[in-house]
Amino acid sequence: MKTKEAVVFKIAWNACIKCGACVAVCPQEAGFTSEFDTIAEHAACDIACMFCETVCPVSAITHKMLAAEVE
Amino acid sequence: MPDSSSTITMPEYDLVVIGSGPAGATTARFAAANGARVLLVDKKQELGAPIQCSGAVSHNALEQAGVYPSPEFIHDAIYGFAIYNGKGEKKIIDYRKLKPDEYGTKEGTIPLGYVVDRRRFDRYLATQAERAGAEIWLKTAATGFRVMENGSCEVDLLKFNEPVTIRAKVIVGADGVQSQVGKWAGLKTHIKLSELASCLQFVVDGVETAGLLEIVTGNEWAPGGYAWVFPKGHGYAEIGLGVTRTMCTENAQEYLDRFIKQSFFKERFKNCRILEIQGGGVPLAAPLKIQYADNIVLVGDAARHVNSITGGGIHTALSSGKIAGEFLAQLILSGKPATKTNLKGYQDNWLKAMGNNMWKLYRVKRAIFDTVDVVKRDEQLYATMSGYFSTDSEYKKI
Ligand SMILES: Cc1cc2nc3c(=O)[nH]c(=O)nc-3n(C[C@H](O)[C@H](O)[C@H](O)COP(=O)(O)OP(=O)(O)OC[C@H]3O[C@@H](n4cnc5c(N)ncnc54)[C@H](O)[C@@H]3O)c2cc1C
Ligand code: SF4
Repeated sequence: MKTKEAVVFKIAWNACIKCGACVAVCPQEAGFTSEFDTIAEHAACDIACMFCETVCPVSAITHKMLAAEVE
Repeated sequence: MPDSSSTITMPEYDLVVIGSGPAGATTARFAAANGARVLLVDKKQELGAPIQCSGAVSHNALEQAGVYPSPEFIHDAIYGFAIYNGKGEKKIIDYRKLKPDEYGTKEGTIPLGYVVDRRRFDRYLATQAERAGAEIWLKTAATGFRVMENGSCEVDLLKFNEPVTIRAKVIVGADGVQSQVGKWAGLKTHIKLSELASCLQFVVDGVETAGLLEIVTGNEWAPGGYAWVFPKGHGYAEIGLGVTRTMCTENAQEYLDRFIKQSFFKERFKNCRILEIQGGGVPLAAPLKIQYADNIVLVGDAARHVNSITGGGIHTALSSGKIAGEFLAQLILSGKPATKTNLKGYQDNWLKAMGNNMWKLYRVKRAIFDTVDVVKRDEQLYATMSGYFSTDSEYKKI
């Protein structure tokens, strides 16, 4: 799914196998990462290409629209 | 009064290598062995873990990098390949039969390759680097760097959560497929979604193997990739696959489940029990066009040194680590500054030794995966894989 609005990702830690594929495919600047080799949960993503969600072998990544988070 | 204590005590090295996988540990070993002062850092507490690799590597690759095939890290010996098309027809390339005087279990013959335990293998390579004179810090993440006026740089590390800054002339980004070091230097390291295979694998009990790496091609089982069954030693096997997500609608986990339950191997896999779950991303991409910047070089997965036909990256990581380590030690000892212009020599050496061939493989891969007709694409992949592993393959060196 492609969206133009900024999103915030959430990792299902129970499913994540800490493989780093999401980081490898992420077009963000350096540092858009978590402590556990995944893309960041703490910051909003304004590119919202969703490559990380798509590449994840176990579909551990979901997102919410930033606007919805802020409300 | 300015606080000068930190500058006085700041540790200084010629080289800081970020990441102690096969690429980083090998770079550190060859640089240290050739006289450079080397610091090797890795953010992990246990190298190689969690495993993101199947561990297949040729005897030749280890030998070229001066790595003795030790039982410390070998799960199983490999003597050849079985390549399958999507229907289950196969081509067996067993070097025990094709070259019985060279490969086998008899006295005077050797295995063609091995399946290694990446936890033990990466630890072994780090030990080798340490014995060659490199210093190693685990639980140490590199977080950034600054170039200083004198041409060297300061590198920020987080060691057991304590910020530490060190000085180094060159930074080696050996930080794997998720490399951030390249991004620090403004290098174009981003991998396209269409060029990162999404992989999942299970180490299982209850599946027999016969000293062969089994590779299953075919869009039905693994679009834009392949499935595999590897021997893992002690009666275990590994079943895995990688898919290109722009060529399919489901994730790797669903494809793996289908491969186990519905493929021509379903009877063979009927009683398999899953003992470990691993995965990762394999760049089936071209090597980076530029793998160096002022004070920085990239090696291994960080520079996309991956064979884009097989997805193998251990051999290329070891080889490029050797090239980088030798080159950098020489540059440093010559007293020349680590400018972009001077570091280009590393990439030139790498292109000559293996890079040009890796580019060639990438073009072959592109031609296959760009074929729109699925039947033709499947035929091409099956033929290319069979040819790649044959005795007269032109790519034996990578
Ligand atoms: C599922 C799967 C199966 C594979 N199977 C095979 C196979 O059978 N044969 C084969 O040849 N290849 C295989 N590969 C590819 C192979 O695993 C890689 O090519 C290889 O590991 C690359 O080595 P490397 O040293 O470049 O990087 P890595 O092995 O990824 O090492 C990078 C290191 O850098 C560290 N690091 C990262 N960032 C930092 C930081 N900021 N600070 C400190 N440390 C950091 C990491 O902790 C890690 O230890 C497979 C890959 C996958 C995903
Ligand atoms: S791709 Fe998925 S499984 Fe892999 S590290 Fe990212 S969230 Fe975890």
